[in-house]
Amino acid sequence: MRFSIVHTTRYRYALPASLCHNEAHLRPRDGCGQVCEYSRLVVEPTPAVLHERVDHFGNAVTYFAVQEPHRALTVTVTSRVAVDRAETLPNTAASLPWELLVERVREDHGPADGGDDAREFALESPMAPTTAELAAFAAPSFAPGRPVLEGVHELTRRIYSEFAYDPNFTTVATPVTEVLAQRRGVCQDFAHLAIACLRSLGLPARYVSGYIETNTAPGVGGLRGADASHAWFSVYEPTLGWIDFDPTNNQVVGRRHVTVAWGRDYGDVTPLKGVMFAGGAHRLEVAVQMTREEG
Amino acid sequence: MTIVDASAPEAATVSTDGLLGGYRLMSGSFDEMCGEGGQPRPHWEYVARALDLLGAAELRDRDRDLRGILRENGVTYNVYANAQRSERLWALDPIPVLLTSSEWNTIEQGLIQRAELLDLVLRDLYGPRKLLGRGTLPAAVVYAHPGFLRPCDGLLPSTGQWLHLYAADLARHADGSVCVIGDRAQAPSGMGYALENRTVLSNIFPSLYRDSRVHRLALFFRSLRGALNRLDPAGRENSRVVVLTPGPESETYFEHAYLANHMGYPLVQGSDLGARDGHVWLNTVDGLRPVDVILRRVDDVYCDPLELRPDSLLGVPGVLAGARLGNVALANPLGTSLLDNAGLMAYLPALARELLGEELRLPSVQTWWCGDPQQREHVLQNLSALVIKPIVPHPIPASVFGAVTSAEQRARVTEEIRARPHLYVGQEHVPLSTVPVFVDGRLEARRMVLRAFLAGAEGGYVCMPGGLARVAGHADSWIVSNQYGGLSKDVWIIASEPERQVALPEPRMEPLAVTRDGDDVPGRIADNLFWLGRYSERAEASARLLREVLLRLIGSDRAPGDAAFRILLGTVTRQTCTYPGFVGVEAEATLAAPEGELLAVLADRNRVGSLRYNVEAIVRAARSVRDRLSGDASRVINLLEREFSQACDVEAAMRALQRVITLLTAFAGFCGESMTRGQGWRFLEIGRHLERAVSTIGILDCLFAPAEPNAPALWEALLAIVHSAKTYRRRYRSRLQPVPVLDLILADESNPRSVAYQLAQIEARVADLDTARGARRGAAARLALDALTRVRLFDVESVVPMAEGDAALRLLLAGLRERLSALSNELGHQYFTHVEPPQQLVPLR
Repeated sequence: MRFSIVHTTRYRYALPASLCHNEAHLRPRDGCGQVCEYSRLVVEPTPAVLHERVDHFGNAVTYFAVQEPHRALTVTVTSRVAVDRAETLPNTAASLPWELLVERVREDHGPADGGDDAREFALESPMAPTTAELAAFAAPSFAPGRPVLEGVHELTRRIYSEFAYDPNFTTVATPVTEVLAQRRGVCQDFAHLAIACLRSLGLPARYVSGYIETNTAPGVGGLRGADASHAWFSVYEPTLGWIDFDPTNNQVVGRRHVTVAWGRDYGDVTPLKGVMFAGGAHRLEVAVQMTREEG
Repeated sequence: MTIVDASAPEAATVSTDGLLGGYRLMSGSFDEMCGEGGQPRPHWEYVARALDLLGAAELRDRDRDLRGILRENGVTYNVYANAQRSERLWALDPIPVLLTSSEWNTIEQGLIQRAELLDLVLRDLYGPRKLLGRGTLPAAVVYAHPGFLRPCDGLLPSTGQWLHLYAADLARHADGSVCVIGDRAQAPSGMGYALENRTVLSNIFPSLYRDSRVHRLALFFRSLRGALNRLDPAGRENSRVVVLTPGPESETYFEHAYLANHMGYPLVQGSDLGARDGHVWLNTVDGLRPVDVILRRVDDVYCDPLELRPDSLLGVPGVLAGARLGNVALANPLGTSLLDNAGLMAYLPALARELLGEELRLPSVQTWWCGDPQQREHVLQNLSALVIKPIVPHPIPASVFGAVTSAEQRARVTEEIRARPHLYVGQEHVPLSTVPVFVDGRLEARRMVLRAFLAGAEGGYVCMPGGLARVAGHADSWIVSNQYGGLSKDVWIIASEPERQVALPEPRMEPLAVTRDGDDVPGRIADNLFWLGRYSERAEASARLLREVLLRLIGSDRAPGDAAFRILLGTVTRQTCTYPGFVGVEAEATLAAPEGELLAVLADRNRVGSLRYNVEAIVRAARSVRDRLSGDASRVINLLEREFSQACDVEAAMRALQRVITLLTAFAGFCGESMTRGQGWRFLEIGRHLERAVSTIGILDCLFAPAEPNAPALWEALLAIVHSAKTYRRRYRSRLQPVPVLDLILADESNPRSVAYQLAQIEARVADLDTARGARRGAAARLALDALTRVRLFDVESVVPMAEGDAALRLLLAGLRERLSALSNELGHQYFTHVEPPQQLVPLR
């Protein structure tokens, strides 16, 4: 499967801004069942400084600064990504009993290949804290000795069925405990909730940001999270590696998901953030176009 | 924990009579001064004998001198008790702590090894992280610590030293052995206070200090300067180093200004800096100047709101990108707070073996990290014997569990440790050594912690020979913190041999190119200097006016209901803007008994416009430009603040006014005599002259009323208030006439109190500002020239035929006022460019 993705973000300011520093996590990753064949990031107005780097988690990060007075800032990322993943979960029953994984991760010495250190993802992070309530919410899915991926799969299903998708309830800053109490949120919230639950049990889980293909057939409801960036989570199993789950759509992360970046939580991989001087109030518009390419 | 009572029977007493006679040791602690027999240790003998000979009375005098010096130098420490900041005088005990140079040598070697080790650890953890891969260090010690800043991963170059500044808190066990109880790496504070302590102590004990063969501190600061210069990514000879402070509200602001001053670097706040083109720039009144090295006193996470804490207003958005691009260096680099990590202490011996192939020379306090199951069990089993601490240093001891005693506490702590084991350590209880402190005319033993400082040097580290000792606020207290009423002490390393020649070769002996540069004035500093000029002049004008009024109030020749006096009282209200005061329909009662209102205008700090209010504004402005003023000028400001406490009646108020006027004049003199004629001085001068012009115009408007029946009395007051009575008398004897009065006060450019003189000065200084920037005459300069020309063209003789002459004068005065106000705004607009605080864009979800 090959997708062409155009992700446009536009900020409009009430007054001209004199200077704006930004950081973007918008270029899709390579590996993890996909190849980013092409990605181009265009900023309007042309930034005076633009610097690409790879962050702590291996994501591509773009720093740029617009130094001329401007009333709008547009960032357009055009990418082509070839995806080749299984559409089904691996044999979940064959995964490690979850308690054993908790122990393994603790005693592990980290990856030899310079990849992600699972130990880092078993610890709480600012947006995915570990609490007794979260552990209690997760507990019914993690009976003693249960294979970890079975438990995670069930937890994903429970979040999907027990929580309402409600874009008007949460903001970027809504704590996950509030999401748990109110049983509603959007894809970022559900990803954080799952991650926080797993970490509260001592399991390693990471946050994944990316895109999901909309169901374009007329009369069929589109998948949630398709208008902008989407988010899900991934859990680590030593023999199988990182396995992704999408609690918003109760889906296996297969050929319709494109991974952009991952980290401990949203704070590590915010698609676009910035600090500006002057400019007054501002508005944000986002559009994502994801089209399947034939052949 | 057991607290040893100093009066317990087992406490030994020094046998000497006199001051030392009353010194009681604390059992269970090593005493720095006295050995077990109660006799001074050999290296203390000289100082102990000298103190004994001085006696309590003399020592009390010296202690008073010491506090006087601290007060005059404005050595302060901001305290945040009860969520209210207050500035507290730095507390320094007159008795130094002495260590032998041979013991210090051992400590120093241990500290240098530790700094080298921590530097290697830092470079590994922000680089390949082999220590985690090999399991030498548990991952959670790093990943769970909030000081591990992921945006800084891979930021630092792969070679060279990263830890440029390092401080360690040292303590002694009961047997006298020394251990490290805390590492401070991100922005260690205290070295400036250590230097100030030394300056003060060498001042109050000149001969004792001289004869004790104490190692000097100057070399250390020279090494530090060298280390900072070497950081310049471009390797320039004259790199621009700035000291970044959170601002005057910061706990240790005094020290930031003091260090900046001592090392000759500009003191800046985040808003003075900006990132552009991947570089960091200092926003000065002459334009942007590139910054090469930032000695920062702002914590890691506050330094860059783009990549670190988004709500920080103390940092510079984009500074991290500039550092990543290699265009600016920070000391210490961002991310070093990872080393302020009690969890690391448990692993330092193993790390030393692995990274250095050596044993750790200076041990840490014995530490068990709860993230490790075995160590955790040890901690939970020994809760009452250990000190439980979070791995992240926290300034508030309440968050430190300390030794756990009650069963209820034990349960709570156990639960907390089990929930987040990796965030806690247990540490053995170090009794701390005791040291004599001079309180209430006697010596008392108090517990002490010593902070030592290291700076990077070529091929290693240099340790300050001395440090900052902090002692507990009470004999039975364990809390050694300036926030909680502790005292500080100077630390003397006593040479056992004649002074060690550790002198570094003078770094570069090439002749310096002569320059008159080196005066980067950030817009914020210019703004504060301008207002310092304005406030000090405003205060002086109010003081002179009040003095004149009080003189008349005390004088017996005043008839009740004297119309001239009533006009004078109204002038007080108008000039100080303390309405309603003596103005308006309700004013009759106040006019009849003016003392209360006059005293309020003098000394009520809550009355906007009062003299005291202005003096406090001076103190604030001066604090913000502390590094720009000469020591003498700052001292005068510090004395000013104290003049108001006594002013409770008219006589006392008169005396206070006299002193305030003298001090303000002295302040103006010190500024005039010792500030170089750079851009900073110009703003101070413009502020001063502008304020004097405005106030003289106001006084003229109030008191120069030729039609008034008692005009001559008013003219006399007018001349006295603007300090021109003597000149007038010399020229015209005692004959008062309107034209000569007006000429002298308004138009005579040779009279330094006249309006014309102020305008001429303003015009010249504003023109200099433009010239210095290579700009042509700007809007401010045009306004100044316009005002000056108006006065020059005004015909003072025309005011004699009263009616229309008076109207012409009022018109002139109104026109001048308007131009001066426009000029003030224009300067603000052009130079003080208050960058709006940066704002976060709504992040994309």
